[in-house]
Amino acid sequence: MLIQILLPGLLLSGLYALIAIGFTMIFSVGRVLNLGYGAFIMFGGYIYYQSAQILGLGKVPSFVIATAAGVLLGLIVYVILIRKLKGDAIAIEISTLIFAIVTQAAIIVVFSPSPKSMWPLIPGVLRVGDVIVTYNLVVAAVTSWVVLAALFLFIGKTHIGRAIRAVSMDPKGAVISGIDPDRINLIIWGLSGGLGAMAGIFLATYTQLAPAMWVAPLIIAVAVVIVGGIGSILGGLVAAHVIGMLETITTTLIAAELRGVATMLLIILVLIIAPKGLFGKAEL
Amino acid sequence: MSYFTENKGFDTLSATSENRPQPMLEARGLTKSFGGLMATKNVSLHVNPGESLGIIGPNGAGKTTLLNLLTKEITPDQGSVFLNGNCIDRLSIHKRVLAGLARTYQVPRPFHDLTIQEHIRVGMMPDGLFDMLLHGADDEKELKIAESVGLGGERAQQYPYELAMGDLRRLELVRTLATEPSILLLDEVFAGLTVKEIDQISELLTNRRATHSTTYMIVSHDLKALEPLVDRVVVINFGEVMTEGTFREVVADTDVQNAYLGTGWEQE
Amino acid sequence: MFAKGTNKGFLGWMIFGIAMLALPLFASSATVRIFVFANYIAIFAISWDVLSGRTGYISFGHPFLIGIGGYTTALLTHHLDMPLYITIPAAVLVTMIAGTLFFLPALRIRGTYFALVTLAFMELMYGLVQVVAPDITGGTRGLTGLPSIVTGAVSNYYLSFGVMFTLGLAMWLLIRTRLGTALGSIGMNEEAVRACGLNTTKLKLFAFTLSAMIAGLGGAMYIHYLGSIAPRGLFDVSFLFTILVACLLGGAGTITGPIMGAFFLTLLLEFLRPYIPGSERYLIYGVATLVLYVLQPRGIHRLIQITVNWFVEGFMRRKST
Repeated sequence: MLIQILLPGLLLSGLYALIAIGFTMIFSVGRVLNLGYGAFIMFGGYIYYQSAQILGLGKVPSFVIATAAGVLLGLIVYVILIRKLKGDAIAIEISTLIFAIVTQAAIIVVFSPSPKSMWPLIPGVLRVGDVIVTYNLVVAAVTSWVVLAALFLFIGKTHIGRAIRAVSMDPKGAVISGIDPDRINLIIWGLSGGLGAMAGIFLATYTQLAPAMWVAPLIIAVAVVIVGGIGSILGGLVAAHVIGMLETITTTLIAAELRGVATMLLIILVLIIAPKGLFGKAEL
Repeated sequence: MSYFTENKGFDTLSATSENRPQPMLEARGLTKSFGGLMATKNVSLHVNPGESLGIIGPNGAGKTTLLNLLTKEITPDQGSVFLNGNCIDRLSIHKRVLAGLARTYQVPRPFHDLTIQEHIRVGMMPDGLFDMLLHGADDEKELKIAESVGLGGERAQQYPYELAMGDLRRLELVRTLATEPSILLLDEVFAGLTVKEIDQISELLTNRRATHSTTYMIVSHDLKALEPLVDRVVVINFGEVMTEGTFREVVADTDVQNAYLGTGWEQE
Repeated sequence: MFAKGTNKGFLGWMIFGIAMLALPLFASSATVRIFVFANYIAIFAISWDVLSGRTGYISFGHPFLIGIGGYTTALLTHHLDMPLYITIPAAVLVTMIAGTLFFLPALRIRGTYFALVTLAFMELMYGLVQVVAPDITGGTRGLTGLPSIVTGAVSNYYLSFGVMFTLGLAMWLLIRTRLGTALGSIGMNEEAVRACGLNTTKLKLFAFTLSAMIAGLGGAMYIHYLGSIAPRGLFDVSFLFTILVACLLGGAGTITGPIMGAFFLTLLLEFLRPYIPGSERYLIYGVATLVLYVLQPRGIHRLIQITVNWFVEGFMRRKST
């Protein structure tokens, strides 16, 4: 029984961490919510589908193409939208939400509104005792851990990483020490777009491709940020696992339909009881 | 937890003490720490009716924290606040304002989409929703109040973004005055102003004191501007009351001079 | 009682009212139905504006309130065969109670966080309706065959327009009283409002309850117009999007703006239909909305103001020379 929850829960948590990380980064650095983040995820999924399943370019090149396309989309959104709104948080939230809807409409125009099923990245299933998990989910979780570890190294060890941390802690102080926050934000949006697209590939193979698929991951990302707390990437990692486990427990032990309900209750409770999140340092 | 322990244990400080009038505002043992940092330590002080009290002290001495504790912007860890001899610990910010204890902020907080006259309207607003709904604004009175700080006539229709710093301070002041405070706490009213603007605000406060018998508590860095406005000064350093007395007594105090060394105050 | 310039605005309302009353005389029944839809969107937009436009507490969960109103009346009429003159007031009452539930987080959090809690409320409702007692709520498929208040396009048009016009005018007058000024100032600087001696909790509770009342009434009437109710389509991001964009595009906080926004959005979609019958229409609609929002975040209301001022100034200048 325990393994039935622990193993799928752990893998799902890994996927959720990957979904949330790009969103958390923008929130930590720019203190704005990118409600269009779901569009990056959906975009990545569809580009991969087009490249791998329609054009037949192979899995690995398609993966790279989709991720690169995500980076490009992130950069474009930053340059044409976010920079113009000059840090007005509400305006950014609303315009990114509109952007997500626009992306959804564009996807419908190009790919039709009907859902598409994706081939798994690696077919087959893994059996541990009587627990069955797909290799696909295993790959997603492992990739997520690798990406997160790489990101930690990048932020901790590199010059750009230190600049990112500086901007996230104190934007004004960072300017004084010669860092250009605009460039850092550009980098972050590009990274976020790429990570989002990558997460989208895994998510789409885990569920399916559909023009409304951006809502669910956005809500997961929001939940991770809220539960983990602002400015805390590590907190986000823990929160992703809390949510992944919670969902697995609810779906296995209570009812599969209650998956989202548990997460929503958690968000509401955390926001009302501890608005800073479980690991957040910053004030509201 | 009950705060209704008014005179117990405070007999020597008690409001009914013979040789002192009842203070208008009194703080007893206000203590507040943020994390490990003690922002104020056991601060006790009082302001008598009609008096103007200056609060001075170096940067980070806890002056603004003290104001925040008096108006309940933050809740003290220990200590009590009395208004006209009544403990007001349980009153929230807005109730304290209604009781006559109002303040201005160091950084003005205007309503960006309201005219000067509308700021005064918010200040004059009654407490009841029906009252707000059914009775219109008193145009004449609003303009009269605006006039009293030199923002009357055409200027009353200006928006905050059209105003210079001196006028923003005046706007902040007039909005607070519209609540008809009996005691007004002013936080760094002279910060960021030109010499001319300081004179104007200073004159305004003096006139107001002559016409209405408003009691003041003025926090300021600018000792020169403060001098003509205050009857008595309390010096705060490291969150504690260091000394008090008349302006001349206090600036002559060597400890005060030492505390201020390097912060721009030089005795002339 | 009301701020200056109210009379001039009143004239605008009268012209709008007369034009709308005359509309069914000229328009086809299909066009009239489009306007019924616009009226309902306008009601929801007014509800959003009373709360979020004024007090700055941005709600991403308005469909939650609308849905509570809709489900209350749907369940009462469907299962208990209660008459509409009981179920609709009951729906309004229940929504107002739900509005106070909505209000609790607003005591502690605001801005983005508040918006997210309300979004969570909406998603929670979407999940719960499908799972909890689906034999009563109809689950994912919802309930159909609900009674209608009046029949025919024109009757429904007059009903929805009457309610929208009355609510809109009432709220427009409300924001022009001192109470309206007080609510608006909360959206600009809540601490300063408190420092002016105002009880912001009381003011916010008022705004929430009022907004919920309008949402409940609109929601209940809307589902009786549709004749059916289902969780998808109601507790839905694109429904939220329509309301939100109507308000923002029109100009939040002005009441007239969101009404204009609601009509603009609905009519834009319909106007595009003969030229672009396919799904591209939504893409153009979305892009147009995004561009308009980024260029003028204060909406059509402000654009009209600027245009009118420009004409008036030009006129004055010509007169003086």
